[in-house]
Amino acid sequence: MAAVHAPLGVDDLEKLVEKALSLGASYAEARYHSLGGHQVGIMNGRVFAAGTTMLSGVAVRVIVDGGLGFASTNRLTRDSLERVVAEAVSAARLSASTVKKSPVKMDDSPQGTARYSVYEKEPLSSIELADKIALIQERVKSADLSYEGIEVKGLTVFYEELTEEKVLVTSDGGMVEARIPRVSIFYNITAKNGSETRNRFYHIAWSGGLEGLDREDLREALEDDVRSLGIALVKARKGPKGEVDVVLSPELAGIAVHESIGHPSEADRILGREAAQAGLSYWREYKVGDRLGSEASTVIDDPTIPGTFGFYLYDDEAVPARPRYLLLEGRIWEMLQNRETAAVYGVRSNGAARARDYKSEPIVRMANTYFAPGDYTFEELVEDVKEGVYIKKFMEWNIDDYRWGARYVGLEAYEIRNGRLGDPLKDVVLEITSPRFYSSVDAAARDLKLYPGFCGKGEPMQGVPVTMGGPHIRLRGVVVR
Amino acid sequence: MVLDEIAEAVEKRIRSLEGKVDEYIITVEEVSNRMLKLANGEASVTQNWRTIEVGLYLARRDGRIFYTGLSAHDPEKAAAEAARLVEAVEPSPLYAPLPRADGESYSNVDPKIKAYLEGDIQLDLAGDLELDLVGTAAGMAELGYVRRLFLNSHGDRLTGERTWFKGYMRVFRGDRTGQWSWTGVNYDNGERARKAIQVARGLAEECEKLPLEKIEPGEYRVLLSPMIAGNLVNEVLFAASAARLIFAMTWIKPEMLGQRVVSDKLTIIDAPRRKDLPEYTLHDAEGVKTRDKPVIAEGVLQTLLHNTKTAKLMGTETTGNAGLIMPEPFNIIVKPGDLGEEEQLEALGEGIYVTNNWYTRYQNYVEGTFSTVSRDAVILVKNGKPSACLNRIRITGKIQELFANVEAVGKTRWPMEWWEVPKPTLTPHILISKTKISLPTI
Repeated sequence: MAAVHAPLGVDDLEKLVEKALSLGASYAEARYHSLGGHQVGIMNGRVFAAGTTMLSGVAVRVIVDGGLGFASTNRLTRDSLERVVAEAVSAARLSASTVKKSPVKMDDSPQGTARYSVYEKEPLSSIELADKIALIQERVKSADLSYEGIEVKGLTVFYEELTEEKVLVTSDGGMVEARIPRVSIFYNITAKNGSETRNRFYHIAWSGGLEGLDREDLREALEDDVRSLGIALVKARKGPKGEVDVVLSPELAGIAVHESIGHPSEADRILGREAAQAGLSYWREYKVGDRLGSEASTVIDDPTIPGTFGFYLYDDEAVPARPRYLLLEGRIWEMLQNRETAAVYGVRSNGAARARDYKSEPIVRMANTYFAPGDYTFEELVEDVKEGVYIKKFMEWNIDDYRWGARYVGLEAYEIRNGRLGDPLKDVVLEITSPRFYSSVDAAARDLKLYPGFCGKGEPMQGVPVTMGGPHIRLRGVVVR
Repeated sequence: MVLDEIAEAVEKRIRSLEGKVDEYIITVEEVSNRMLKLANGEASVTQNWRTIEVGLYLARRDGRIFYTGLSAHDPEKAAAEAARLVEAVEPSPLYAPLPRADGESYSNVDPKIKAYLEGDIQLDLAGDLELDLVGTAAGMAELGYVRRLFLNSHGDRLTGERTWFKGYMRVFRGDRTGQWSWTGVNYDNGERARKAIQVARGLAEECEKLPLEKIEPGEYRVLLSPMIAGNLVNEVLFAASAARLIFAMTWIKPEMLGQRVVSDKLTIIDAPRRKDLPEYTLHDAEGVKTRDKPVIAEGVLQTLLHNTKTAKLMGTETTGNAGLIMPEPFNIIVKPGDLGEEEQLEALGEGIYVTNNWYTRYQNYVEGTFSTVSRDAVILVKNGKPSACLNRIRITGKIQELFANVEAVGKTRWPMEWWEVPKPTLTPHILISKTKISLPTI
């Protein structure tokens, strides 16, 4: 197993925790956290810039008199480390001075003592940057980006590899060392037909080494997206408006569960801790066991899926990770919890505390969120639709801060008529409330695909790596425009 | 001086690698900031940061360029590694010879904020917000100080330091809410914050008094508060970054220069030299002198935002807007109009007052097709008076068409900065006609 190459070890961090306790903290944790790796930008086949990121430092979080304090620094001298502990305690005292109703405390979740590392079959460090650039270039240049009737106006590809290393010590006995290398490839491709244009953004990412380049086919993704842009720009026509059956692809199912189940299930959001930033949650109006959707609707968040972008085994409060059933057969089943929110609800954390980097406090986050597969094939979903729409890829999406009303605009979509896919449709809009969405699902296919992304939340904003996905799903009688 | 020591050590290391690097920029920033974050009327956490960030730009005259962002414990070693990696890249189409740093050093500091962050004085941040008077509220207040040192391979050396006090508050009255933000360079004992909180409170209370109504999707006259106006003018100025054009991520095109792109009532200025806003700076990330300039003047596109690289590629001059990689605006100012706040609802007549938004997303960057979702108070106005509160609505369309329909711009401007207003922005209310509103199916 590759070691965590940290300039501070468990012993050093234990001293910081002890120091915090000696200054009056009832709980303390210290985390060394680094993110390091390379980035390359390729514009229309040419490298326009490359770079390195190397961010590392220490975060200390404490509870004093029911107030929560956080401090971080990237100066690892003895004086700086002593100062960061003192500042965390001082910050907690400032918090405590305002706390009258809800003193912060941690639950009694079991604390992990573990060391783990994501296996790299072909380590990121095994080849030089120039060779990595050549590997990406080869895939980009070999892609056939032609489609009759359109002109590709621009293709920008970003490659990023970041290895995350953490050493965490908590005053409740937690000690975790983790090393997770991750690779991301983003692209933005723009195509034109006359005066009409379309953009497509896409993201391929995984945890592990360069072996993922063979598993996640960049060339195939580019060619498929050019085909989608071509269909949208050349062949698609305006589709039906009004109430129809809708089949959604794994890509659409994924963004939907992330936005309208995953985020609303975050306990801190339900409790109002993110009310002025990422907002509240319609789950405030429900309790565990309440029916929200149909029996075909099960949504799971699971950090432990190997190779995924959102993978981890212990969270940033040293709690072991496990799959969380957020929605089980249409009923609200479990919230995402960290130790602070679990203490409020009188339950145990389910290991959802994540911090992006050493400057970030651990807050409740998703990992890999997906709609659970059912028993159907895609063809079976379609053949039982008399009049409907199949949305395969989307362009725009957003959702309100209560996670109630979402909007998805299709890039590639098709008419369904009498159980068969028909003509491609242009700019299909699905604008729907979350309960209506999950109540309308009557079937899910057996296929499952996860899509990576960065999920934003917190103040300052933390973008953490996640995936979202699902199988093809069918919604009965929903309004499209 | 820690900054000098780090910068000089990094420079010495780069210079020792003779032949590997022809041009370089080294920036070292020492940042300290403290944020009080609030939820349910109490502090949910207080966060403190004390960091030193090192940024490197390395280039060879054949056009190879390499960027490094460091906050590591060994910047010299990382610099040497970056210098080695310059060889790995091919000459960039974006390369331009390193300019002389003709900008000036600057200081725009409130000594009170600096002393507080150094622990030399105490401030009653929580008390000054007067949270006890507000009732249930969530938000944050942040004080910060940054000191920077700039060196380049021409031997130019610049320094800068600035402070900020910014934040926002969402006030709850039952399930009705109002949210407002503030920003500035000095700590005024919380005066700007209290004023913003009072506005947020007033909006929540106004909505609490009104019945809840539903509207049909369609076109409406809309009054945008400085919160949402701030978000959307940020979108416009980021769309004017030449890098967005190069990467096909903007509706703004070079042939639009000198042409009317939005209403003649709208003037949007990039104002790095505006001393009362936190992104004040007299030099950009390339050391080039900054200048205040209208990007859109009376509806006409005056300039894109450039650094020397995008300028060379597009055959023009830098506008002094370099970030480390992409050109970007600093402070954003909307020129005031003549609509007084006391008369703006009357001017709206029949329409919707949208006080806040989030999640602005593009369906198509090149065509400017977007939507954004309201949050907090959305007030239906009839006969110039508030008549009902609405649930969340969505504004859709093309951003240039939205701003083509500006009817009036407010007289009173507010300094805004929050999640959805990333750059400090001084803007009034903006009244717009024919705004497309959509709603989800229940």
